[in-house]
Amino acid sequence: MRRAWDSYRLLVQWQFLRLRNVLVLIALIQLALALGIVYGLSLLVPHLDHTSALFLATGAPTLSLLLLGLTVVPQEVSQAKLDGRFEYLSTFPVPRLTSLAADVSFWLVAQIPGTALALLVADLRFGLHLRAGWAVLPVFLLIALSSSAVGYCLAVLLRPQTAQPVTQFVALGILLFSPVNYPLERLPPVVRDVHRVLLWPTWPTWSAGASGHPITCRCRWPSWWWPAGAGPGWRPATGSPSASARSAPLSPGAEWPGRPCGGSGDGPSRRRPGRSASSARRSGEGGRR
Amino acid sequence: MLLEFEHVSKCYPGDVWANRDVSLGVEAGEVFGVLGPNGAGKTTLIAQLLGVARPTSGRIVMDGVDVVRRPDVARQACSYQPQTQVPVAGLTPMQAVTLAGRVRHGRGPDVRRRAHQLLQLLDLGEWERNAVPLSGGVLRLVAFCMAAVEPGRVVVLDEPTNDVDPLRRKLLWQQVRALADRGSAVLLVTHNVLEAERCVDRLAIIDQGRVVATGTPAKLKAELRAPLRLELGLDLEASSPPFPAFVRRPAATRGRVVAEVAVADAGAAAAWAVGLQEEGAIVEFLLAPASLEDVYVRRVGVSLEEDASAAGVG
Repeated sequence: MRRAWDSYRLLVQWQFLRLRNVLVLIALIQLALALGIVYGLSLLVPHLDHTSALFLATGAPTLSLLLLGLTVVPQEVSQAKLDGRFEYLSTFPVPRLTSLAADVSFWLVAQIPGTALALLVADLRFGLHLRAGWAVLPVFLLIALSSSAVGYCLAVLLRPQTAQPVTQFVALGILLFSPVNYPLERLPPVVRDVHRVLLWPTWPTWSAGASGHPITCRCRWPSWWWPAGAGPGWRPATGSPSASARSAPLSPGAEWPGRPCGGSGDGPSRRRPGRSASSARRSGEGGRR
Repeated sequence: MLLEFEHVSKCYPGDVWANRDVSLGVEAGEVFGVLGPNGAGKTTLIAQLLGVARPTSGRIVMDGVDVVRRPDVARQACSYQPQTQVPVAGLTPMQAVTLAGRVRHGRGPDVRRRAHQLLQLLDLGEWERNAVPLSGGVLRLVAFCMAAVEPGRVVVLDEPTNDVDPLRRKLLWQQVRALADRGSAVLLVTHNVLEAERCVDRLAIIDQGRVVATGTPAKLKAELRAPLRLELGLDLEASSPPFPAFVRRPAATRGRVVAEVAVADAGAAAAWAVGLQEEGAIVEFLLAPASLEDVYVRRVGVSLEEDASAAGVG
């Protein structure tokens, strides 16, 4: 374990020394990307309501992380395969996962300024007054690791010439067909069902609002991405939140208006009897405004 | 034997055989050369040792452990200099060599000391702490240092002298020898037959994926039973002198004649060449026994000529 940690530290150092000259450029690009998602996507919807603004604001870092894992990581791996770096590093006595973790860590750190600033700008732009919940960090890591693992596997398994179009296709598909920036209900029924299947077996639990999991207990985030989504880590502190909701360490998507999940920020046990998620949303009482 | 290849074969899709039934053994403390023409399967053989490629059949055993099944053992035991350049852009040679040694689990102070020592021994002191773009030769020497700073029980060097200038190449061969003297088994892949002859203890010649000869350089040369080689250096505009009967198969190019002389005629040939030099008919001459290059050409050249003629006919 000690050796794995040492190897990880040294590989991160190696990556940093190799790319330190372009680190600022990378951070600026990530920043522009995150801002582009916040501002650019809002142009598609001329009259943003609070719900859509929340989706866009919290979706921007999620999409940035997904694009990091699905485009930047495979591009790096493909380039490394072409110039022999991948094979060379694989001859060192280092566990494969350590090598992947070192790469992802570097890109994650490069991503942090952009992500933070994008959230800040979204907060100011839409007047959301977001507050960070305790789940921000683990969720941030989970998104990055899951998307990076997919991108890494594709780049390792495919030839470099093939990996790039395939990962771009996957990234575009996720961008368009994952309810990260919009609610699940907008998806075509078939895709919606796919998302629900991918959520199984936790999806029914969320729907019933009976999970005891610290994150899932009050969240029914409508995407298989949600366990790895940054969104649950952020919640709006504006409007007229109930005292109990405000005091909750994390009241993810369920507290947000328009979320396709019916739980209130107070958790399943405090849901109003007889009020489904959709009816609550229709009546505009699904969360704070 | 520390390292043994046992009937290793590697076949790629399309029935392309990179290695066919290769069996070799390398002892600790020896430099073992692997010689062969381009595409002979040398690098593939190394890739299988390092766990980067998997043999189609056969075993690779290191200290009794089949490293085909346990590539982690091979990675622990082998340090490697690849044929391609190593990823050191943006790093100083000192940083690159130190990082490589630390990743190979070397102790920090020991690695730094050894890295500095190696860079000095290879006359790379002026670049030691400069992260400027380095020339191909310097990069290759840095790559060697990265393999040698914390050497494994087996050190694998794939074409270590490519792009390196003659003076530093000499220093590099000294360090290759030093690695073996420290107890590592050095597996050396090279095209540089003449220089390898002075460095390797034993060698194998690989052609078209097969081992066509193995042994010490002296043994292989003795097996060749080759005549002596006579080389005459002429002025560029001078014509070849008439050859006596004991000078056989003379082949003249502009300014140079290469011929064969029987060992029994060595004295007469030397006297004849000295006479020509005194007359000013030639500039210099060389009378030498068969070299490893002659062995190599004899073993590999036939198949290359056959391939070339087959391609010409086709």
